[in-house]
This record gives sequence, C-alpha cells and structure tokens, in this order.
Amino acid sequence: MRPPAIGAPLIPGLPRIYWALAALVLAGIVSVPQFRTLSNLANVLDQSSTLAILALGQAFVIAGGMIDLSVGQLVGLITVVACMLFEAFPGMTLAVVAGCLALAALIGLINGELINRLRMSPLILTFGMLSVLQGCIFMLTDRSIGQAAPSIGFLANGRILGIPVSLLLVVAVAVATWYGLQRSIFGWHLLAMGNSPDSARKAGLNLFSLTRITYLVSGLCAGLAALLVAGRLGTGFPNAGNGLELDAIVAVVLGGTPLKGGKVSVAGILGAVLFLGVLSNLLNLLQVPAFTQIVVKGLIVILAILADRPRRLAQPA
Amino acid sequence: MPLLETHALTRRFPGVLALDHVDFAAESGEVHAVCGANGAGKSTLMNILSGTIHPTSGTIAIAGQPVAFASPADARNAGVAIVYQEFSSIPELTVADNIFLGREFRGRFGVVDRRAASRAAANLLGRFGIALSPDTPVGALGVADRQLVELARALATEARILILDEPTAVLSIAEQAKLFAVIRTLRQQSLLILYISHRLEEIFEIADKVSVMRDGALVATRDKAALISVELIRLMTGRDVSANAAPTPIDGQRRTVLSVSGLSEDGAVIDIRAGEIWGLAGLVGTGRTSIAHRIAGLRRRDGFSATLNGAPLPDDPAKALAAGVVYMTEDRKRDGIFGPLAVTGNATAASLGRFAPGGFLRLGRERAEAGEVLRGLRLVAASLDTPIGSLSGGNQQKVLFARALLARPKVLICDEPTRGVDVGAREEIYAVLRRLSAEGVAIILISSELNEVLALSHRIAVVRHGRVSAVMDNAGLDEHALLVAATGAGEAARPVVKLAGKGAIPAS
Repeated sequence: MRPPAIGAPLIPGLPRIYWALAALVLAGIVSVPQFRTLSNLANVLDQSSTLAILALGQAFVIAGGMIDLSVGQLVGLITVVACMLFEAFPGMTLAVVAGCLALAALIGLINGELINRLRMSPLILTFGMLSVLQGCIFMLTDRSIGQAAPSIGFLANGRILGIPVSLLLVVAVAVATWYGLQRSIFGWHLLAMGNSPDSARKAGLNLFSLTRITYLVSGLCAGLAALLVAGRLGTGFPNAGNGLELDAIVAVVLGGTPLKGGKVSVAGILGAVLFLGVLSNLLNLLQVPAFTQIVVKGLIVILAILADRPRRLAQPA
Repeated sequence: MPLLETHALTRRFPGVLALDHVDFAAESGEVHAVCGANGAGKSTLMNILSGTIHPTSGTIAIAGQPVAFASPADARNAGVAIVYQEFSSIPELTVADNIFLGREFRGRFGVVDRRAASRAAANLLGRFGIALSPDTPVGALGVADRQLVELARALATEARILILDEPTAVLSIAEQAKLFAVIRTLRQQSLLILYISHRLEEIFEIADKVSVMRDGALVATRDKAALISVELIRLMTGRDVSANAAPTPIDGQRRTVLSVSGLSEDGAVIDIRAGEIWGLAGLVGTGRTSIAHRIAGLRRRDGFSATLNGAPLPDDPAKALAAGVVYMTEDRKRDGIFGPLAVTGNATAASLGRFAPGGFLRLGRERAEAGEVLRGLRLVAASLDTPIGSLSGGNQQKVLFARALLARPKVLICDEPTRGVDVGAREEIYAVLRRLSAEGVAIILISSELNEVLALSHRIAVVRHGRVSAVMDNAGLDEHALLVAATGAGEAARPVVKLAGKGAIPAS
C-alpha cells in the first residue's frame, strides 16, 4: 500500500479552490461576452504570472510555519534597480538579470539569517525589512525611472506559438516548487518544521539552514516576479510592489495551505492565483470602479476562506 | 564491566548544584529505574547522558570507553537515545515517516522514498514486537501507540542505551501493560533501559535495579528485590510519608449537592452529597474527562442534566463556575496555567470579580487573599511574583488548587490532580482534598491511579463508553475489583459490584 501523501495530491482530488474557480469562470462565460475571447484568457494568464511566482515563493515560507512580508517591496526595489541598470548598460541584459536575481536572493538570505541570529519572529523581522526596502526604493527615486530591456518585455508580454512566455516561466517555477516542497527531502523537512518546530529539532533537523534556504528561495521568487513587472510596465515604478505580499499570502491560504504551515499544495496555489486573476478580470470587464473592486475582492476572499475551512463542532475552549 | 558508567558527574547552574558528583553505573540487559522527587537531578542526569546539556565536570564512559557529547546527535551516534515525556512525533505523518524523520531514505533525485521507509519500519517494529502498522498517520493513534512510536524512533538509531522519561505519565493501566511488554523485549535484546518515573508501583513492576536521587546526589542504588516501597519513599523524600489511609466514611444524612440524571447506564439518578469524595474510575479514553467537562458546562451537556442544590445547573462554563462548580484540568500546561504570569494572577484568575469592585483590581487585597490560601497549601515559590511556568509540577498544581479554592467551590472536579507531581506534593494534595471534604465540598475525583481513587473516595463510579456503569461504596474494594469493573472483564459474574449507595433512586 502506498503511504498517503503529505501535501495535497497534484491530480486526484483537485484542491477545493478549483470548484470556486470553475464557478467563477462559468459565471463569466455566461454573463460577460468579452470574457470568453482567447486573447482575454491569455491576458488573465499574463496578469496572474507575477502573483503566481510570488505566491509560490511564499508557499515555501508559509509551509515552514513562517511568513515573509518583505516580498512586495522587494519586487518594487528590484523593478526599479533592474530598469535603472537596463538603461545604464543596454548591451548587458543577461548580466543585469543575473545581478538582480542575485540581489533579490541575497536580501532573502539576509531575512533568514537575521531571523536565525536575532531569534526574531519572522512577522516582525520581515515587516521591518518591508519598511527598510521601501525606504531604499524612495532613496533611489520617487518617480518611475529607467527602461526595461526589450527581451524583458518579451518575457512578460511575448508569445511563443501563441502561448504566453510568462506562462511557461510560471509552469517552470511551479514544477520546481512542487518538487522542492512536495517531493524533496528539503521540503519534507520544511513541512515537518511547519508542523512542529520542536519535534523537528528533536529529530535532528537543522532549522537554521531550513530557514535560511526558505527565505533565499522567497527572495529569488520575488526577483523573478520583479523582472516580469519590469517587463510589463517597461519602466521602474517605485510603487510597483505595494501590497503584493498580502496578495501572495492570500493566494497561498486560499490554495489550501494553512497559515500555520505544515501542509502545502502547489496545485491549490495555482488555482487560487487563477481565481484571484479571473475575479479581478471580471470586475474590470464589468467596469466596476477600482475602489469598489478592492472591497468586493476583500469580501470574496473572506467568503472563500470561510467556505474552505474544515467543519468542526463548536468546542468551547 | 558496566555498559554505562559516570564518575563524579557534576553540573552547576547559576546558584544551583543540579548534579553533585554522581557515580552511576548500569549494565546492559537491565531496566534501571531512576527515581526521586522533582528537582532531585534526574532530568539533569538524563539530559547530560543524552547530550542535551554538558557536565560542569566529571566523566561518562560507555562500555569502558570515555565519551563526551557535544550534541544530542553525538549521543545518538554513541548509542544513547532518549524518549521524552512530551510526544515529539508529528501527527500528520505516518508511523514510518516519523520513525525516519531526519534520516529519510533517499530515492532518485533526492526524492523522499517513503516506500523504503515503510518497509524498514515494518521490519523494525516486528523486531521489537511492536504491533503497529507503519502506514498509519500518528495522529490517528491512541496515546499508548503514540508512545510506542516514540520508542520506535529511538530504537531506529540502533541505541544500546534507551532513556525513558516518565513514559507512562499519560497511559492508562491497560496501555501501560502494552508498553511494559515492549520494554521486556528490549531487555531480552540486552539493551540498557533507564526508566524515570514518579510512580512507585510501576517501578516495582518493571525495574531490575533502582537508583534514587535526592538534591542532586545519588542516594542509593538497590536491587529491586531488596527494596520495599516504604523504604523507597523514605530514600526519595528523606522522610517518612504516611501510608495511604482509607477514607473515613461520611455520615449518610448529608444533603445532596449535585444531582445528575441520564448519566448512568441503568438510568438511576446520581446524587453527590456535601463532603463526599466521589471517585470516577475507568480507563483513559472512556469519557471520564468528557463527563467532567459536561458537568462543568465546558461542553454541551447533551445526554444528561444536572441540578445543584436543587436548582438546574447552567450549561455554560462561566455560569457553572459562578454557581460553584469548579473544574481542575488534567493538563496543566494546555489549559490550566498561564505560564508567564505570576503566581498571584494564576491563583485569582477564576475569582477576579471579587477583587475588582467597580471594575478596578484591588491588588493588595488580591495578593493578601491569594497569599493566605497559598500558604495554607504550602506552596514553595521564591515569591508570589514568580511566573508559574517556572515552578515544579507539584507547585503549579497547588496554585491551581488555590485558584479553585478562591472560587469558593460547592463542587470541585479534580481531573488527575496528581499527574506529574512528586511523592511529597502528592501527599499534600491528598491532605487538601480530605480537608475540603471535611469542610463540606463535594469532590469529583478523576484518576487513572486506582490506589489514589481507593485511598480518597467515599464512593467510586466506574465509567465505560462514556456512561457510568456502576457506582460502588468504597468498602472492602481493592484494585483488582475496580479493574475488573473498569474493563468489563467480569461481565458474566460481577460479584463485588454493588449498585449505587443510599443516594440512588430509580429514575421515573
């Protein structure tokens, strides 16, 4: 007999968010004519790619029972830095990309290292880092700056045989995340740590190294997401990452990963990202005013999480 | 040559000599009990042997070879494994996953090979006679089986020396037998088992040798055969502790305080009288705690109803408490103490309203009353401002008793009041219960230790499948009779079980 998998399985018994996604898509197809065009579908995928990659990075952190609030501003910083460098060194796109990813990974590593050494709560530390990064962005510039390289624009908006290039990137990151979290020894240990740090320590796992690698991965994903943002905007917009960290956390939780960690589903996260993407696409097509959209989105997220909660008998404490 | 030997092992903490030149020796193939009151140094010794803390001075030798452990991993490599009192397996993972956590089998591409782990676990469990399926999630197991998983995890490291820290703290008697059977298999396979426990009966049952510690020093090591329990208690406490006296019967004319209908199997109304200690015996997991919770209003009281002094008892924890029904938890750490808070705040938590006329806390009055009650309970703490989490189990329990007393109980429900409490404090808790009973408080006592129930209770109710299956007067009862009733072993002939005392009248 095969032991039951720790995370949700990829194919059988699809995560529950797909029911909500299916309902939403159905409603869109029936009621909004522009929704069913192929170009709109590609559009949704394009626009979801940033959040998808950010959420996959956050999945590592949350699966391990931690959180990373700094990723939104990290996206902002890398977007600005990348566009400034692309403009300054037009012939060296590849080097700039590598440098930006390395910088993002390094900032992630610093998060992890500080949590380890200062024995600080990830919530507090990464919140502090959020503020630090935001300050750094505005020390560099207070308005849009620089220009994205054309190949970065292709990464964000291009098509290969009609398939969005950003979708291919998301698929690659998702497969890597699925392997890393749901199949590799590292992921196994990370989930054990999310379930019970105490038990994990007693089992001889190196929690420091798990924390370090996790934040490095989260930083790296933020770097990748930032390149997509730069490609889409074409320029370094300092507020590009505002609030993205919360969207990423919501996507992870909507996808069936509990906030306290110990369990993860990559398929669920992808479903949740699509759900959020389709939702905001529909609201746009229905010409709901932007601020109303924020309210509607908030309410739907609360409802979706409520509906997904395992039913338990009310038990007084 | 002894398998394990320490020489002049000493550990100094700031201000405390936790371990004082301990010369300890133990052979392979023996179960060596280490006992002593809380703070005697047992845990320090075991933590040094398992590499968790380092000795200040002194040496350890395994099979004649001197060893020094920098970390628990070092100790494990040298063949020393420890099973902690708290479970450290992960409920979401299977038995096999837990056994090999941190030492996974690697498949191709660094993938976790759970099938190989499952096979290896089946092999290991079979070798030590542990009847568990490797693919069951640990969360689905009962406490006894979870304990065995902990044991298997330690055994998977090819340990020669196995340290068990109060392994039966959460087990019922039937479950304990299961654990002991495994321990005996291990002994046959010439492991050394260091067995730490408070419970004297089980030390006498399972140990070959007994070492007693007191105030950081090793007081004596004896063969079990040459030891009697009175002497063991004297070695542990340094003083004589009175043997358990049977309770003095209360006079039958006392008024009924708590009346519960719909709880007993035969439909009889259960009346608990003022000053009566009403023991609730039964195996762990039969629903004793659930009954207690429902009486105290902590859980919906479906299935039965209760009246207090003739008035219906509210089905709500705050109202039940206000009416005088006080529940003391079986799990201090989880839902008893407020760890970082001071002793005073913990003691007055259930009666704060009294100290806050007009909504403002009168700290002086709170402190004075709490202090008085705590002195009566002989609390040992540096001050009333000490965080309760830093006290020993016995002293934490005394503070919880103070909380209950300050709430002025009419009915006190004690769930395992002496769990994790050392011998000396246990006697003091018994004295408190007897005193309360003399003052007219009705007490419901839940305990897995049959001798405790027998020593304290006026009447004993046996719980099976969530209902009271029999109520017996505690006269001429012994552990055997109680066990028979609790397990239903004597279903065909139930000679000693006499139904209900004077209080019982047929339900209409």
